[in-house]
Amino acid sequence: MVKVTYVAADGTRTTVDAAPGSNVMQTALDNDVDGIVGECGGAMMCATCHCYVDDDWTEKTGERHDGEDDMLDCAADEVKETSRLSCQIKLTEDMDGLIVHLPEEQA
Amino acid sequence: MPLAPVDESVMIKDLVLDPYPIYRRMRAETPVVRVPSVNRTLLTKAEFTKMVKDDAELFSSNDPESPMHPAFRAHTLMRKDGDEHRRERMAMQKAFTPKIIKTNWAQVYRDITAEYLDRLPRGETVDLYQEICGPVSARILIHILGLHGASDEDMMRWSQQLIDGAGNFGWDPDLFAITDRANQEMNVLIADCAERLRAEPDDSALSLMVNAADPIPWSQVEANIKIAIGGGINEPRDAMATIIYGLLTNPEQLEEVRRQEAWGAAFEEGVRWVAPIQCSSRVAMDDIQIGGCDIAKGDILMTVQASANRDEDLYEDSENFHVFRDKNVHQAFGSGPHHCAGAHIARRTVGEIMMPALFERFPNMTLPDPEAVKWRGFGFRGPINMPVTLN
Repeated sequence: MVKVTYVAADGTRTTVDAAPGSNVMQTALDNDVDGIVGECGGAMMCATCHCYVDDDWTEKTGERHDGEDDMLDCAADEVKETSRLSCQIKLTEDMDGLIVHLPEEQA
Repeated sequence: MPLAPVDESVMIKDLVLDPYPIYRRMRAETPVVRVPSVNRTLLTKAEFTKMVKDDAELFSSNDPESPMHPAFRAHTLMRKDGDEHRRERMAMQKAFTPKIIKTNWAQVYRDITAEYLDRLPRGETVDLYQEICGPVSARILIHILGLHGASDEDMMRWSQQLIDGAGNFGWDPDLFAITDRANQEMNVLIADCAERLRAEPDDSALSLMVNAADPIPWSQVEANIKIAIGGGINEPRDAMATIIYGLLTNPEQLEEVRRQEAWGAAFEEGVRWVAPIQCSSRVAMDDIQIGGCDIAKGDILMTVQASANRDEDLYEDSENFHVFRDKNVHQAFGSGPHHCAGAHIARRTVGEIMMPALFERFPNMTLPDPEAVKWRGFGFRGPINMPVTLN
């Protein structure tokens, strides 16, 4: 298991255990973490699972996937360099301790 | 495993009048059930509808028996999968983003809403469905799509005709003759508007498509615009009418929505309670089991999000309208690759602009006879009148 911490827009931190192989969006949904909607179920079609990867973790989470840039343009909140669609971040063992920050709005 | 049970008792006319008691029974007794009158296997539990929509490889949108093809005279993106679907969808998606709405259009939408509200007489009973829900949705869509020159009436008529054609499961030739005429009219308008937008580009969907560096084929530009007409008027119209009904028949909730300015929550509950698009078809691409029943390759499944949205496993008192639910994750906008492209627009136009504007303008509005409100629809559903006294 790996730990993932979600930092809400108001600063509230929620740390949950996740199985490697799952993604950051689904992990949030499975653990009732507020602030990630994930309405399209990970099909990269809704931009409601937008997150900002903590600066210390951007190397581990890697580059945006094909098509992710275009869909991020559809996100409700500001898109930054660290913006990702959390459904596209697949958890691996070396992401234990991952921190992602959540935007104020998703939809 | 056994095949899904067959329910001969369910007729389309019953589903059109009031499907909810039927779905409630199905969820309890036969959550996977073959319904001969619809010629499909209905899935009524949230778990099943989401699973099917999220797996586009196993459950294709390319339903060969869909009346949508003749109705739109095109193989539209709604009935495509994979890269082809994504390319056609992304060709117009950027016209539907929250940022474009906020920066370019929000004020236009507020002005349109105000203009239509200005026409309403105070102190009288008027049908808001006719006077506001449909026309405001149509006028806003003209701007989003770049179809200047169309009238509200044309847009509403085309939208309804396309929907009637797409739902023409009885294959009535008269209905397809009507959509043929509508298609001809829309093609002329789309071509005219495209010519203007090539000269004077803007952020509308049609402008984005015709001015793209690598445009999609013209047949698909037309098809995309028609899908947006079919999907961009009735849905906000029906969502709006449903929310008005929900709030006016639950005054204590309306008061709290006003106090907290919780119009977004009211919107979500409205579309959960009566999803404007009630069900969608998928084709099984392999033999598979769902809910303990064998589904054969090629079977057509109807995912009933209207029912998923009232699934007792997810919602307390699911048959009733409660704005202030703890969690309100619903499937009104679908899930998977075909998740509604207009979801952000709907939330902003209906939830953030139209609803607060209406209730601010007529703070003492009442629904004198809730029984007089008629609801209709199986594939698409909402009230078909909303006689409200404006004060």
